[in-house]
Amino acid sequence: MANKWEVFVMDLGELAEGKQLELTVRTLNDGLQKYTYQRAKVEVSSKLDQFPDSLQVRLGRGQLSPQRYSIRVIETVNRLPERYR
Amino acid sequence: MGKISEAETKLEKISAPRTNREFIDACVKSGDAVRIKQEVDWDNEAGAIVRRCCELGEAAPFMENIKDYPGFSYFGAPLSTYRRMAISLGMDPASTLPQIGAEYLKRTNSEPIEPVVIDKRDAPCKENILLGDDVDLTKLPVPLVHDGDGGRYVGTWHAVITKHPVRGDVNWGMYRQMMWDGRTMSGAVFPFSDLGKALTEYYLPRGEGCPFATAIGLSPLAAMAACAPSPIPEPELTGMLAGEAVRLVKCETNDLEVPADAEIIIEGMILPDYKVEEGPFGEYTGYRTSPRDFRVTFRVDAITYRNNATMTISNMGVPQDEGQLLRSFSLGLELEKLLKSQGIPVTGVYMHPRSTHHMMIVGVKPTYAGIAMQIAQLAFGSKLGPWFHMVMVVDDQTDIFNWDEVYHAFCTRCNPERGIHVFKNTTGTALYPHATPHDRKYSIGSQVLFDCLWPVDWDKTNDVPTLVSFKSVYPKDIQEKVVDNWANYGFRGAKK
Ligand SMILES: Cc1cc2nc3c(=O)[nH]c(=O)nc-3n(C[C@H](O)[C@H](O)[C@H](O)COP(=O)(O)O)c2cc1C
Ligand SMILES: [Mn+2]
Repeated sequence: MANKWEVFVMDLGELAEGKQLELTVRTLNDGLQKYTYQRAKVEVSSKLDQFPDSLQVRLGRGQLSPQRYSIRVIETVNRLPERYR
Repeated sequence: MGKISEAETKLEKISAPRTNREFIDACVKSGDAVRIKQEVDWDNEAGAIVRRCCELGEAAPFMENIKDYPGFSYFGAPLSTYRRMAISLGMDPASTLPQIGAEYLKRTNSEPIEPVVIDKRDAPCKENILLGDDVDLTKLPVPLVHDGDGGRYVGTWHAVITKHPVRGDVNWGMYRQMMWDGRTMSGAVFPFSDLGKALTEYYLPRGEGCPFATAIGLSPLAAMAACAPSPIPEPELTGMLAGEAVRLVKCETNDLEVPADAEIIIEGMILPDYKVEEGPFGEYTGYRTSPRDFRVTFRVDAITYRNNATMTISNMGVPQDEGQLLRSFSLGLELEKLLKSQGIPVTGVYMHPRSTHHMMIVGVKPTYAGIAMQIAQLAFGSKLGPWFHMVMVVDDQTDIFNWDEVYHAFCTRCNPERGIHVFKNTTGTALYPHATPHDRKYSIGSQVLFDCLWPVDWDKTNDVPTLVSFKSVYPKDIQEKVVDNWANYGFRGAKK
């Protein structure tokens, strides 16, 4: 099943297409994990059928952007220093 | 120090609710809380209910059936009315604001009451203990309070408990906490707060983690203490407000002690060298103002909770919620104590909750020159200062609780050239809607005094205008005659 994701940006320019990005995204899938975050390497596209998962965007003060994207989560990135894991 | 009369020193027995559960029961009984039995969604619905209750001044919602989280409940808007504030203090719900204020002053001027530490077996908050791989914040019904918030907020009506590493004093502070993932929270701990200072003065420069415990579902007076800007350590302050010692119990994974009767405890460490994003979030000013940013980050090591735990929710936004009501109340009264401690002849201090605790109104006997400036300097220069940016000083003839009178004094007596004094480069917060983005980022503030007193160098007889009102210009006998004959003249209004 396709996953739903959300990201906060100050400017849509942060979502450059055609290259790998590292973003903090949260899952919008229903269930207990909804709205929890992870850091991930992703690719996004404004072509909604480009990648399997969907991405919606919120701006600086939580406003939902009308601009939608598709997203591929390549891998998660754990920035938490080893000693705390 | 003034002499305290015998009557004032004799404290009557206080019977305030000792736990969140006793408080809910008392509120339900008096009609100040509503039990909601139908299922409520943690995703926006619960938040929307609490918000609407605040805006309508409704009873507090006790939501007993939460989607996905059987066995948990929510209690929203715990102290967003003066009635509930009175109940929390064990007073008659119909008590007036000045009565509640007088009671707060009486109790917080009494002797500190030390907390007691009890055995773990007697501590309700230890009924369920999650450690190691079982630790997961998503097992708690953490609500999405406002649509568009940066996350689900674990801490909206709670206390973050820490201990100063050198002085050893304990701090309970209400600093909002967002769930980032199942083991991580991030929070807005302002640099001038007690915890903010401990972090920047000690832990961060040394690269040391700061142990913390978050307590949710506190007794209402413990919550009141956690967001009161009092110099008294909060466990003692809670004891003074309640008239009895708070029961504490030791944490599972660190040396801190937490309120034994709290509904939920989250233990862990504030990391000195790792930060995740926090916000945006609906705030007490009635806006989402402070930007999303990398903020203080809490790593969770243990969760303990009572059976059928109740999570408390404050939903901040436009007036009126406890962010405005309670903080206006305690900020005003703490300033009154400070000004009186300096011998200033203040007649009262009041913040209207709908100013979102941004304007301090001070009544004073204008007995010497510069008294308004002295008040403003003390107010802005104190620990309370960053939380408001306007001080309005009126004379003792003006009823500070009556906005019509205060507004009239302001619009007529405040001289644009000599009555308005701007204080630049003071301490602010990221939450001020009027602050520039730059000033928000660095907690830079600016503040203003509105001096609405007649200048002392005006001749009292010939220069100071005479107030023209029914009460101030007519002889007593004429006033009485007119009042007594009011109905005879044909008016149907009240006699007074
Ligand atoms: C609902 C609510 C939320 C609050 N959130 C924060 C916050 O996120 N950060 C903060 O520094 N203060 C916050 N405050 C204000 C503090 O609780 C208040 O300044 C308190 O006195 C802190 O005490 P301290 O002097 O021990 O730092 C909040 C208050 C309330 C009522
Ligand atoms: Mn404190």
